[in-house]
Amino acid sequence: MEPPKTSPATATTSAAPPPPTFPKLEILDPSTPHRFLRPVKRINEGPDVARFLTSQAYRDIGIFVLQLNRSLCPRKPPHPLDASCRPPGISKALYGVTTFPTNSYLHGSAVPEPVVKLQRMLDTIEAIIDEAPPDPGPRRFGNASFRTWHRLLEERVDALLRQFLPAHVLEFGQTDRDEIPGDQDEGTETEESEAGPLDELRAYFLGGFGSAQRLDYGTGHELSFVAFLGCLWKLGYFKEMFSAADRPLDETERCIVLGVIEPYLKVVRRLILTYTLEPAGSHGVWGLDDHFFMPYIFGSAQLTRPITETEPMPVEGSLPYAPPPSTVATAAKADSHRAENMYFSAIGFINDVKTGPFWEHSPILFDISGIKDGWGKINKGMIKMYNAEVLSKFPVVQHFPFGSLFAWDADPNAAVPTTSVHMANQPIASAAAAAAPMGTSAPWAQATRMPGAAAGNTTTTPGIPYSQAPWAGGRSSAGPALPRGGAPGPVLVSDPSQMTPATFSRGTPGTASHQFAVTKAPWAKD
Amino acid sequence: MSDLDNAIAQLRACRPIPEAQVRELCHKARELLIEEGNVVTVNAPVTICGDIHGQFHDLMELFRVGGDVPDTNYLFMGDFVDRGFYSLESFLLLLCLKVRYPDRMTLIRGNHESRQITTVYGFYDECLRKYGSANVWRYCCDVFDYLALGAIVLGASNTLSPNSEAGSAAREAEEDTEIEVCNADGDIMSQFSRQEGGASRLLDPVGSALRPSATATNGIGGAADSSRNSGLGGAGAPSKTGSPGSGASGSSDGTVGNPAGAVLCVHGGLSPLIDMVDKIRLLDRKQEVPHEGAMCDLLWSDPDEIDGWGLSPRGAGFLFGADIVKVFNHRNDLSLIARAHQLVMEGFKEMFDASIVTVWSAPNYCYRCGNVAALLELSEDSSGLGILSRTNGDVNRSDGGVGGPRGVLMENDLAGLRSGPARRYRVFQAAPQDSRGMPAKKPVADYFL
Repeated sequence: MEPPKTSPATATTSAAPPPPTFPKLEILDPSTPHRFLRPVKRINEGPDVARFLTSQAYRDIGIFVLQLNRSLCPRKPPHPLDASCRPPGISKALYGVTTFPTNSYLHGSAVPEPVVKLQRMLDTIEAIIDEAPPDPGPRRFGNASFRTWHRLLEERVDALLRQFLPAHVLEFGQTDRDEIPGDQDEGTETEESEAGPLDELRAYFLGGFGSAQRLDYGTGHELSFVAFLGCLWKLGYFKEMFSAADRPLDETERCIVLGVIEPYLKVVRRLILTYTLEPAGSHGVWGLDDHFFMPYIFGSAQLTRPITETEPMPVEGSLPYAPPPSTVATAAKADSHRAENMYFSAIGFINDVKTGPFWEHSPILFDISGIKDGWGKINKGMIKMYNAEVLSKFPVVQHFPFGSLFAWDADPNAAVPTTSVHMANQPIASAAAAAAPMGTSAPWAQATRMPGAAAGNTTTTPGIPYSQAPWAGGRSSAGPALPRGGAPGPVLVSDPSQMTPATFSRGTPGTASHQFAVTKAPWAKD
Repeated sequence: MSDLDNAIAQLRACRPIPEAQVRELCHKARELLIEEGNVVTVNAPVTICGDIHGQFHDLMELFRVGGDVPDTNYLFMGDFVDRGFYSLESFLLLLCLKVRYPDRMTLIRGNHESRQITTVYGFYDECLRKYGSANVWRYCCDVFDYLALGAIVLGASNTLSPNSEAGSAAREAEEDTEIEVCNADGDIMSQFSRQEGGASRLLDPVGSALRPSATATNGIGGAADSSRNSGLGGAGAPSKTGSPGSGASGSSDGTVGNPAGAVLCVHGGLSPLIDMVDKIRLLDRKQEVPHEGAMCDLLWSDPDEIDGWGLSPRGAGFLFGADIVKVFNHRNDLSLIARAHQLVMEGFKEMFDASIVTVWSAPNYCYRCGNVAALLELSEDSSGLGILSRTNGDVNRSDGGVGGPRGVLMENDLAGLRSGPARRYRVFQAAPQDSRGMPAKKPVADYFL
């Protein structure tokens, strides 16, 4: 494809952009006192997921991801260009169009300082691998040395965050602490109740690098890292990156995705390869990807039809001369786009680690490669799918903690959640096909209602049915009667005298807890 | 050719059979399975296989390596479906073979043979994709409910049968060989012989590669847990003086005509609610796999290097230690528990002084694991003592009804652990991917409509 990165025509064009009409995550006012909370787990049972889908945290995740997504969409020239000035080598269709290839944001003087700092922090984290080389000894799958790596990260996380993040973030709102109404009364609380920005940042940051206990990595960890960046956004970390005068609209968001998230994915991929981290809750060939989701959202956005700053995200169409979606199915072709596009970067990683025909080991991505309506269609579908398959799945979001920046509090404007269907054994074809008219934030809001009232609609369209989370109804609805032959109730130990402190250990190295693709009970809570 | 033979031929070519035919097949299979007990009794010789997970081409490789049906008797320990691309073809083929050759094919239930699990881990999606409706998935799930929970293998010999697959260069199995590991071509990779006290001696220098410390590098076998010599009897005291399992011992075992002790096959492992195999027989199995309780545990538990019982990181079933296995085997007169459920890079792994073995039959699991697969052959005892009945119903069984149900559970057999039967592991790799046609159509997923 080789789309020109930025044609000369637009590089100098910085006409006054219209005020953004698309929702952006709020940046907190540092002069207003803010009360931080140590993030805690709130999703403990299947039905809590429905509550999560009406929370402020869910709203903010949605706004942030969509905001990042839109920033990557190629941009039309802000005003009509004189065709006679079109330089040779620039096609008519691309004249004046700005595209955002991945590799243009990773290095160089154009990368703003806050992004460089985060890149350095990721480099530092990656270097910990050298201090925790993988254990060459016998093992089942996941390498227990990942626990060493993770422990070192935990030990150093505070120092790292202090080293790379500025004081105005780390001490956000702290100077005015005494003025928080009600704070005086609670001044006698134990020190544990005093939380600062670091507590919230640390929780999401550490959550972004896999599970030391299970030796796995999945979309829940990926989500946690995005939430970490969302916290930084809210705390104003990125707000001074560009002076208002020469800042291209949404350039900050693009820097976050291409300058931070992509390098983060590279670090995680190296962790996965080094320690053979298990895909958390792998669906085998029937999942989109063993570990990731974000690169498919952002990568498809990079290749959608160009828009103006006032147009909504396209729901179909591709960037002229973009590699067609079918390119994905051919490893050699896909490989040639790895450096410039996040979707192809993710495909390349799959081809690195899997053997066998692509259509067999990645049938969902293969099917998507047959979509005729362009990358815009794929992008829209990815967002709906992310909402349904990641944000709405108990096993994924149960680990997400809630504090003040990603709050468990109800979002007053949230759509009324449809009661989750308690169908333990009868999967329900997704009602996504019953699409509602789309507003600007439509894909998300619409997807929110996906497992909705039309759930009884047993669509028989061919395609991949994304079933309702069977555990959404909680244990009680899903658990058939106990076998009559056995003693009722969970009897943990047949002989209490056998109970030792070690009896209930959560597994030791070389056990089921770190096996590749070990099946976990969908109702498991850990 | 009968309809059934046609279906088998079609499925062997990895082509799904029509929905109506699936319905009929599942109906027939259910009629057959409903007559089986929760614990099926199977006579050696039999070839025991672990998880398949829809890896159809690798299942074909398994039949190539282990011998085709009906020439070889097979016992599959569940997890036919989910994660792989061909769960449907794999399960239906096995089911066809079960209906066609009921005496030669035993299928027991894995934790993935469940409505809830298949909706999460892929089989449901696959059925919808391949048929456009969930009907076939429903038919299959109805069969799942009738699959047995375990099997008891009787009459396994403590000496290996000649390795018919072996090339001329291969050595004959020695008389006292307890464990033999072969590659996919039948060449013997290593042998372990019995010694007094039940310990193994390494015969073959090649076998040194089987030691756990080296297995990761050559990926051939995982036999002979290094703790093998730390026997139960304390201080390594031999529990028997004669040939293991022959009954020629100074102790009081060997009282039944079952030279090597029975082998219990179950998908996951043991349950704190089950101390006797007979208690498995009392369960009402004809239901969805519960989230807890004995039936759940049998399909979900894992052995682990712990004492007693532990919580499972899977969120279902338990972890159980060597002490649990040894007490259970002793109490039930078992020489070995064969189970599946966990990936092992070398295809099989014996643990706890060879009292339990994990067999894994899905090579290069999920297209990326790089593991080899294995199957376990138990040969027939030719001493004349091994004529034993099946208790899993007499319907369509040529040898059904011979004698009564055998008392496999000799509570009063207080001898030490029985020595294991002779075991031949055949290790194989993923099938070559040469000529698998690409599908012409790319169905569009709902999200992308």
